[in-house]
Amino acid sequence: MSENNTKEQVVESIKAMKDGPRAMRMYMEMCVKCGTCASVCPVYYGKSEKRYNPAERTDLIRRIYRKHNTLSGRLFGRFAGAEDFDPADLEGWQGIFYECTGCRRCAMFCPFGIDHSVITRKGRALLDKLGMTPETMARVVKISLETGNTDGAGEAAFRAAIDFLEEEMEDEHGVEIKIPIDVKGADYFYVPPSGDVLVNPEATMGVAKVFHVLGMADNWTMSSKCFDGANYGLFTGNDGDMRADNKLYVDEAKELGTKVMLMGECGHAYRIMKMMMEKTAWWGELPFEIINCMQWTAERIKDGQLAFDKSKNQQPVTYHDPCNFGRSCGITEEPRVILEASCADFREMHPNRGDNWCCGGGGGLSAMDDIIDFRMEISGVKKLEQIRETGATYVSTACSNCKRQLTQLLEHHEEQIEVGGVHDMLSRAILVNGKAAERHEYV
Amino acid sequence: MDLVRFMLGGVLPYVAVVVFIVATAHRIYTWKRLAAPSMTLFPAPADDKANKKNVLKEALLFRSLFGGDRVLWGFAWVFHVVLLLIFVGHLRVFTNVDSILMTAGMSAEAIQAMSGGVGGAAGVVILVATVLLLARRLALPRVREITGAADILALLLIGAIIVTGNMMRFGAEHFDLALTREYFANLATFGGVTGQAALQNEVFMVHMVLAFLLIMVIPFSKILHFGGIFFTHELVRKH
Repeated sequence: MSENNTKEQVVESIKAMKDGPRAMRMYMEMCVKCGTCASVCPVYYGKSEKRYNPAERTDLIRRIYRKHNTLSGRLFGRFAGAEDFDPADLEGWQGIFYECTGCRRCAMFCPFGIDHSVITRKGRALLDKLGMTPETMARVVKISLETGNTDGAGEAAFRAAIDFLEEEMEDEHGVEIKIPIDVKGADYFYVPPSGDVLVNPEATMGVAKVFHVLGMADNWTMSSKCFDGANYGLFTGNDGDMRADNKLYVDEAKELGTKVMLMGECGHAYRIMKMMMEKTAWWGELPFEIINCMQWTAERIKDGQLAFDKSKNQQPVTYHDPCNFGRSCGITEEPRVILEASCADFREMHPNRGDNWCCGGGGGLSAMDDIIDFRMEISGVKKLEQIRETGATYVSTACSNCKRQLTQLLEHHEEQIEVGGVHDMLSRAILVNGKAAERHEYV
Repeated sequence: MDLVRFMLGGVLPYVAVVVFIVATAHRIYTWKRLAAPSMTLFPAPADDKANKKNVLKEALLFRSLFGGDRVLWGFAWVFHVVLLLIFVGHLRVFTNVDSILMTAGMSAEAIQAMSGGVGGAAGVVILVATVLLLARRLALPRVREITGAADILALLLIGAIIVTGNMMRFGAEHFDLALTREYFANLATFGGVTGQAALQNEVFMVHMVLAFLLIMVIPFSKILHFGGIFFTHELVRKH
């Protein structure tokens, strides 16, 4: 693409922000430059430099908006904070727009509720249209659209993994605990992140055990085609990709005739399904409802239908609220119900719930090993301090991206702290036929 | 010289008020008509009514800022509350509210004491708050690095209005309330302002011209945040 075309495309897209949605336009016109976002941003906390200041990042686009859309910008130029777009800046944008974790903590404390993640996503969308999405991210989206999961695993690999989990559970409990696959007419369709099948599979075992104990082993299913709710279209700013990826799962749920789509421990997957797709009816009326597996399990615990042997989880455990579950979906109490039921020493980290600090790998950054130094030494610094303060030796969190970031972070800073999911702890302590698992160490 | 006085004292106020009303209404209308999908942040108010209540809390108490930056919250809240107080106090300059206050039972002396005491204190407090806001903007790297000319100018303009206002109250040549009321009465009734004695007061002229300049730029500047705040918070807390 020629430089002129590039320029026109970017400028037109930024000009169009005045036509909405409302948030987009108002964020271009509202900021008073008070700096509060910077003082609550995990990235700026890690390194207080101008390029990491949320208001400055948003201003990259605002300056161009002002130049083309406001009277003061047209009349007074730089003096009114307006500047034209220079295609030479794009390379810098590739770095800067992937240095925001999209955690939305700024929006919690901004006196005007400005959510900088919206503009970060806009910046990424501009890059994506120009084919400039960072290679690591572009690859994940491509694999996911081709194979239906972000790991690029085929049906055979999936089935092998499930077989392995069933064997493990039989070893642990001495009884057969099933993980049904492709069962049409099952009421519950479990959609985890693929990491919870292939990388840290204990969470999926935990869910299987819950259904087993409830005597519902025949009434739930996984899908051999759709076993990864992760959807990187959210992170690259490409709505088309996000919807295409999402449609696979909605179609599969309809195909299976499911009544409840049971989302796994994956914050952004649940957020897209619940807060975006369902709320704004991407595919019209749905024949199923959407809940999260932590809600499901927490309800069963409160009903007294599940029992635990807490002595199986003696170590101090803390919970990291994934931004997409806490701030963006309001799922904060359910994981605590599960952890308090299954762990002997549960500790809060502070601040928590909606005010929690991002792990440093949000917004898809966790998958980018090309910026690992940034994640370890800048965006993750605050989280590391928070975890250390708890004295916990196990950090539980309900998100594959958080898990990856935290695992790398704690290893990098030489901490002997384990990282895992919520149903992982449940899986280790839940009583099946009155007995908790005889567990081996998983590596 | 008379022409300048006429333009500033007899034309600018009309222009400023018309520009303010039209441009502000236009801008708020353009915000309002846009599609507004919710993008909820939790904990979120349970329903629309609770959300409206939350917006009010934000607008009146700066709830979010209180959690984010307590020091700025202090500066900003005092600044805005005193600004509101001064705005109300100025009604007495435009028109004779004394008679209303008197029917409410206040004596002339009490009114004068309130004006001098509360009004005088407000003038000092808001000057201090403005200086603190400016100092903060220049001193803290995270604020300085995102500050543009417009941010400084807005504070300087407000500062100049406050200083000239205080000069009239505390200066040697105290300004004449009756003359000012006569001038505004003439403006309001389109009676023409040439020869108005109030315009012979230089400090008053500067104070008034800067104030109308401020009113005129509001809809084109970040100062319109006082209107936008009612929209943006609603968006991120809507269920």
